Amino acid sequence: MHILLVEPDKLLARSECQALEQAGHSVMVAATAQVAIQAADERRPDIVLLELQLVSHSGIEFLYEFRSYSDWQSIPVVALTQVPPAEFSGSAELLKHELGVVAYHYKPRTSLTKICRIVNEHPLLSDIPNIVSVS
Amino acid sequence: MRRPSQQQPILSEQVLLSIAEQLKTPFLQISHRAELMALAERHHTDQSNPVLADLHEIQTTSDTAIRLLDNYLFGARLALEEQYQLQLEPVSVSSVLYDTGQQLDAMAKLYGVELELSLNGKFGPVMANRSGLQSALVSLGYTLIEALPSLEARHSRLQLAAHRCRYGIVAGLYSDAEQLTVEALRQGRKLQGHARQPLSMLSPGSGAGVFVADAILQAMDSELKVSRHHRLYGLGAVLRPNQQIQLV
Repeated sequence: MHILLVEPDKLLARSECQALEQAGHSVMVAATAQVAIQAADERRPDIVLLELQLVSHSGIEFLYEFRSYSDWQSIPVVALTQVPPAEFSGSAELLKHELGVVAYHYKPRTSLTKICRIVNEHPLLSDIPNIVSVS
Repeated sequence: MRRPSQQQPILSEQVLLSIAEQLKTPFLQISHRAELMALAERHHTDQSNPVLADLHEIQTTSDTAIRLLDNYLFGARLALEEQYQLQLEPVSVSSVLYDTGQQLDAMAKLYGVELELSLNGKFGPVMANRSGLQSALVSLGYTLIEALPSLEARHSRLQLAAHRCRYGIVAGLYSDAEQLTVEALRQGRKLQGHARQPLSMLSPGSGAGVFVADAILQAMDSELKVSRHHRLYGLGAVLRPNQQIQLV
């Protein structure tokens, strides 16, 4: 599976990328919204893992642009973010219904194993073959 | 360079909140690196490899630090917004205590503290804010788990328990450490913010978890009290039962 990981922190991006690659996926890392759009344009991702707190353009701005392209409207986006649940709940409706965010995970409490499980077990991705699970 | 006046301290509460927020990132980086190394080790060696235990310990400690920071941020924001009240809802005490136990379990094991869940009797729902109550009990738990080994209590055992009292239902954490007294808590509240070790009879550190729990419980119209559970000493939240749901 090809994953677009939008993560501004270099060290976190490196560990997440390594864990996902060890689980058998290919990963493209983007630190900003602009680079993420370019990366998706180069190769269509099967899933996007998105930090909402980005430099310059926020994750929400990225999503507005990302969803404006018809080819990318069905790609599942998972919010994997530093934004705590209490603050996220304010934008939950917008992100879910208008911007197609299929799941929210609070990053500081999400282990690498869980990140791999989120990718492997997401219902929208269940028909994609060759998934290696990490226990 | 302009020197800040007395009214504008160099490190305002807001700056401290930002630091706490930012500190979560390096802890998460440590946790992720440890987990990644453990995953790689597991492929090459057997489960008894001591490196695996060390890596697990590093990960648990980092994850604990993140939870502590989250709870601190939650409590501090509530304390700063004095008028702020958490929304109350019917909450099952048993389920909150169970989830609290789950969150404290890894840290308790690291400190060699035996964690027990004691839920004798049926408790109807209480009026509380579920995530608030849980954050308060988890914060309290961290402080007590850290403190118990240094108190040289007879048994390093911490019990998560609930019981009825004349004001409602008390949900809290109990041990055989006699230092958990009304006087220690009263003194601690008075010294908090002024002394390095406000709960000197109880905690070798700042005992922040107790004050975080205090702030969160106040925001849900509850309070932290010293209480006894059977023969144990502890701190608990006094919660009002939800009469309406009990009638149904």
